[in-house]
Amino acid sequence: MVEPPNALRAEQIVVETHALTVFYGDTQALKNVSLPIARNRVTALIGPSGCGKSTFLRCLNRLNDRIPGFRMQGKVRVLEMDPYSKHTDLIELRRRVGMVFQKPTPLPMSIYDNVAIGARSHYGLRGKQLDEVVEQALQRAALWDEVKDILKRPALQLSGGQQQRLCIARMLAVEPEVILMDEPCSALDPVSTFRIEELMIDLAKDHTVIVVTHNMQQAARVSHYTAFFMYGELVEYDVSKQLFLSPKQKATEDYISGRFG
Amino acid sequence: MRRLGRLFDTTVYITGIMVSVAVLVMFYYIARESTYAFRQTFSWGYRLALLPGDADSSATPNSAPYSSLVAVNPEGADGLDEKEEVFPAPTIQQMQDESALVATATPLASDLSQIRADTLYRDDWRSPKPAEEGTRVLVLGYAAPGYSLPTMYLAWEPDHSFEPRLASYRLVLRLLRAPEGVSIQPFEIDLRKQPTGRIALPTWVAQTDAERTQGYVFEVAAIPQTSTFWATLRGVLGTEWAPTLIYPRYGILPLVLATTLMSILAMLIATPLGVATALYLSEVAHPRVREWLKPALELIASVPSVVLGYFGLMFVAPALQAWLGQALGMQSGRNLLTTSIILAVLAIPIVASVTEDVLKAVPESLRESAIALGLNHSETLWKVVLPAARAGVVAAVLIGAARVYGETMIVWILSGGTATMPAFHSPVAFAQSLVSSTRGVPDTIAIEMGNVTFESVHYGHLFLLGLVLFCLTVVVNLAALRIGRRQVWRV
Repeated sequence: MVEPPNALRAEQIVVETHALTVFYGDTQALKNVSLPIARNRVTALIGPSGCGKSTFLRCLNRLNDRIPGFRMQGKVRVLEMDPYSKHTDLIELRRRVGMVFQKPTPLPMSIYDNVAIGARSHYGLRGKQLDEVVEQALQRAALWDEVKDILKRPALQLSGGQQQRLCIARMLAVEPEVILMDEPCSALDPVSTFRIEELMIDLAKDHTVIVVTHNMQQAARVSHYTAFFMYGELVEYDVSKQLFLSPKQKATEDYISGRFG
Repeated sequence: MRRLGRLFDTTVYITGIMVSVAVLVMFYYIARESTYAFRQTFSWGYRLALLPGDADSSATPNSAPYSSLVAVNPEGADGLDEKEEVFPAPTIQQMQDESALVATATPLASDLSQIRADTLYRDDWRSPKPAEEGTRVLVLGYAAPGYSLPTMYLAWEPDHSFEPRLASYRLVLRLLRAPEGVSIQPFEIDLRKQPTGRIALPTWVAQTDAERTQGYVFEVAAIPQTSTFWATLRGVLGTEWAPTLIYPRYGILPLVLATTLMSILAMLIATPLGVATALYLSEVAHPRVREWLKPALELIASVPSVVLGYFGLMFVAPALQAWLGQALGMQSGRNLLTTSIILAVLAIPIVASVTEDVLKAVPESLRESAIALGLNHSETLWKVVLPAARAGVVAAVLIGAARVYGETMIVWILSGGTATMPAFHSPVAFAQSLVSSTRGVPDTIAIEMGNVTFESVHYGHLFLLGLVLFCLTVVVNLAALRIGRRQVWRV
């Protein structure tokens, strides 16, 4: 049961931007993007490189601030919060909005600590409780069986796919409601990719997942909604099946049929 | 173009070889010159005297020519090497007027029949020996006719700065022969265990000049215990650096320990400050602040150390003395602590600058991960960025330590210049030695190299010090390199 985006009711919308425009110095990265995103669904953002997908994603948890020359206009609303308001508790925002990056970024510590660090920081968990949270997160990320005996080892010793799942477990341990994934599979082999895709579908049962991907098959496989970006503009946004089978825009059709991009 | 590239490659290659060869040549030169340290000959000196039996017990051998014997073999005591002080021994007649007892030495005598009573070799300057050889001095003792007490004493004590326990020999004082008709147990005294002492003897009075040669014959023998090489090495590991004594001591431990202690102390001060500066520069400071602060920091790193030393001498030392002098019982503001503080000033910019580079090399993605996870700024710094840069930070500290370890000028100006062993037996004594005058390895080389005899033993020991310093800094630097190599954090 997937309603078209324009039929979404207000209470179904978890993340929403309105006329979002972003500049990096003189370069305009996003132009007037208005995009409502539905609760507990997988929404894929596709488009050629440099089209603003990642920028859009990073506006949602304010990870863009560190880039010199960043400026934005328009409105962003994430889980009833405005990330760009002075009064927003960014720590709270980032607790509720988790993120997975393109390259696995295990932190320089043990596997256990990688998963535990967020739960420790946000919930002050210790000892048994923390162990449980770590185990659950690792199980959810389908990594527990592989690492349960080597929790004290440095996380860097894991393989790339394992590292990426570790990053997902790390994010799950702080119990986010919205999950942002920035090309989570582009550095992984097909088997690892498959496992992460399964994971996304599983996560979407109780999380809102927004995934940036270059892989259109992936978008078609896992997402309920797909948004197509080009040159910083939102070209088309629809239910995935609809968008991939009968795109309304010429540009979308050209892109998904592989004529460019 | 390709030929130019080849030329460039060749140049780089040759430069590399030249630098390596230069380092090896330097090492060879220092090692070769330090062999002079092992050409040392060992001297010893003992003063023996016959003392009258009723003398109070505090009487010790004195240096009056007829009454005591000094047998020394000091080496290299400027121009005295060839000198041999020979006195005509007093006749019986003379002795009745001047002194009642005589001990006379005949270092040349190898057997008892050659002992002569008419010449007194008070000093024997000419035969310092390698540790393998050892020496032997025979001493003849008798009383003059005027002497009426039933006993006389043979007393002995080491000469001036000679310390028997440091000798490479076993030193023995023994009775070789007693005069006819005198009954006495033969004795043999280990002078290393009993460096000073006296022993009672039945009086033997020489009535005629001929009877003098029948007196007591004692022997002081230096029996070799080890080779010159090992004796020198043992001396080097001693706890006293006093190369200008008549019996010089070349123990490098106080110097090495002082340098090590001041380096550790300096790095204990410099590490937190340097790392904090780097963290501020790399993670906190606004880019515009960083833009001028980083060059300023590197500018401080390039301040000549003599200027830093002078600054320490004019400001820090008096300030420290005025502020803490009383409380800590400081003799002077020039001490180990002051030196460490200024060394820390030298090290901070180095540590900060290298650490900043290391922190900059920590990938942005790691910081973003931490931030995206909702960690706050200090958690990101302490739990993620710093651990990721850990190896590099350790390397930065070691690079600073190597620089500090070899620093000469600051230590020369501020250490106070007394080579003393730091005390480790109690915390208070240790703290006390941290605020007392000291002296390190590099400044000792700098101070003494200027007025040392070329290719002398002292000269060799200075090179040996240089070798030790060279090795220690190389070890620290290699450790820095090794640990630093682990830094590259791949994500």
